[in-house]
Amino acid sequence: MALIDVRHITKTYNSTAVPVHALRDVNVHFEKKEFTAIVGPSGSGKTTLLNILGGLDAPTSGEVLIGGQNITGMKESALVEFRLRHIGFVFQAYNLIPVLTAIENVEFIMLLQGVGKKERHERARALLADVGLADRLDSRPSQLSGGQQQRVAVARALASRPRFVLADEPTANLDSESTTSLLDMMEEMNAKYEMTFIFSTHDARVIERAHRVITLEDGRFQEDKQ
Amino acid sequence: MLFLLAWRNVWRNVKRSTIIIVSIALGLAGGLFAGAVMMGMGESMINSAIDRNLGHLQIHSPAYRRDALVSNYIRSPQKVLSLLDTLGSVKAYSARTLLEGMASSANSSYGVTITGVDPERERETTALVSMLVAGNFLADKYRTQAVIGKKLAERLGLKLKSKIILTFQDRSGEIVYMAARIVGLFKTESTAFDEMTVFVRQKDVTRLLGARKPLIHEIAIRLKNSSTLPATKARLASGFSDLKVEEWREIAPELAFMSTSVESFTYLFVAIIIFALIFGITNTMLMAVMERIHELGILMAVGMKRGRVFIMILMETLLLSFVGGMLGMLIGGAAIAWFNHFGIDLSAFAQGLEGFGSGTILYPYLPGVMYAALTVMIVVAANISALMPAWKAVRLKPAQAVRVY
Repeated sequence: MALIDVRHITKTYNSTAVPVHALRDVNVHFEKKEFTAIVGPSGSGKTTLLNILGGLDAPTSGEVLIGGQNITGMKESALVEFRLRHIGFVFQAYNLIPVLTAIENVEFIMLLQGVGKKERHERARALLADVGLADRLDSRPSQLSGGQQQRVAVARALASRPRFVLADEPTANLDSESTTSLLDMMEEMNAKYEMTFIFSTHDARVIERAHRVITLEDGRFQEDKQ
Repeated sequence: MLFLLAWRNVWRNVKRSTIIIVSIALGLAGGLFAGAVMMGMGESMINSAIDRNLGHLQIHSPAYRRDALVSNYIRSPQKVLSLLDTLGSVKAYSARTLLEGMASSANSSYGVTITGVDPERERETTALVSMLVAGNFLADKYRTQAVIGKKLAERLGLKLKSKIILTFQDRSGEIVYMAARIVGLFKTESTAFDEMTVFVRQKDVTRLLGARKPLIHEIAIRLKNSSTLPATKARLASGFSDLKVEEWREIAPELAFMSTSVESFTYLFVAIIIFALIFGITNTMLMAVMERIHELGILMAVGMKRGRVFIMILMETLLLSFVGGMLGMLIGGAAIAWFNHFGIDLSAFAQGLEGFGSGTILYPYLPGVMYAALTVMIVVAANISALMPAWKAVRLKPAQAVRVY
């Protein structure tokens, strides 16, 4: 069974006079341990697909099965719980809660899961050490560089022990050095924890490092390159 | 951690939070102080009236309360006085002869209540002696003496040692004249009392009324502690069912009304201030939510339930209001305590205040229960203030919110 099974997904936005077809009959599978990039030009539907995979948005038609469980049509409260337990998120920028320290940001997700104080502290320390920030536990986001903030975001995404991590253009605001470093770390996490990473990106540096590249154009599935 | 997050969120914009906290604090402190001044004024009026002539309790014949005639006196006052002598809660009492009559000088006349008293008893029961502005209180030195209000003296064109003519009816309805020497002038907080009250020795009026023993119309009782009032009243009422035993609230209902209405006005006053503050707090929290749309979107995206987001915003509002509220109570409480000790000199407004029967030195005070009630009011107001911002926050769609920078 595929980790994620996307079946005939269509998404149409009707907020304007002319309906916008963001996704048109997309079918795709994602397996465990994948390190996949979803690519395509602006407006191709990358972020929409990622939002639907993450249960942040609902498709107009079609269905998404995660571990065999259909998440389309799930109630909002059930979806929130599902996201908390099964999906890790890394966003483009400003991922972190500015008033919390690095370790508190990582712990926060575990707090929502109801993990005990001692355990979440230990796990957060270990994860931040994994992403190379063992010495910046008590730094606030404003005291960290963009690359370091994204590392904390990855640690936070992994903290909930999700089935997969969705990263929406995680390197968009990073310089080359930070991008390389972040990708190195993500590949390491992919290998160490057998964690599935799915990126939306148009960054060539990310595409180069991806093990699988899915191309979208005008909301349509164009290419799937291993 | 939710509390920690809320607390830190409150302080992420120090300037804005400080402004709203200071405005809550000053608004509340001002309201509390104004309320305490009103309460102090009400208390001053009551204490003044009790000190002046009311006492805590009074006993009359029921007929006298209906019709203030000389013939409606207490038939067996000695029994009452004997019981009063045995009651430990009673500090002092004064058995008075009350006569409705006229005070005249060569120039003018004025309707007055002539109060015949035992000077020593009256001295112990009321604080009238301390309110003398000229001369002395009644003594045995002269035959017929009178102590009158300064205001009445001015109205009649009299001064200390002047002769005043008092006219009243005896038991048979005959008009009796009494010429008395003014030995003292008093000035109380009540202009009306000063204008309409004349004190004379009881034995002088008893003689003129043609009675062998004093006719007692009123027994004013001063208690050692006002908390014993209900018990003492009940004891006297059960002992003398043929007499009317009343406490100051019943004798002067206008004062009792003042006392309760001042409290209600204080609540109303502070409620209006808090109501105005609700808009300020709501505005601040709305701004705080609007500038954190991206962050709130992320929180909801990663799995924070809407209920928790709601609680977080509610907690932030509560903290903001609580800090402001406590600070306001601290400032207000300190100001009230300071002025309660040293008093506020309002002698510049003496004329107006005396018209109300209030002293010119006000001692603001606020009962402890009011602080508790105000804390509840602040918490309720904070919750109301939080509703709209919190509602706004939980209505956000995470997929859209995370893309707002």
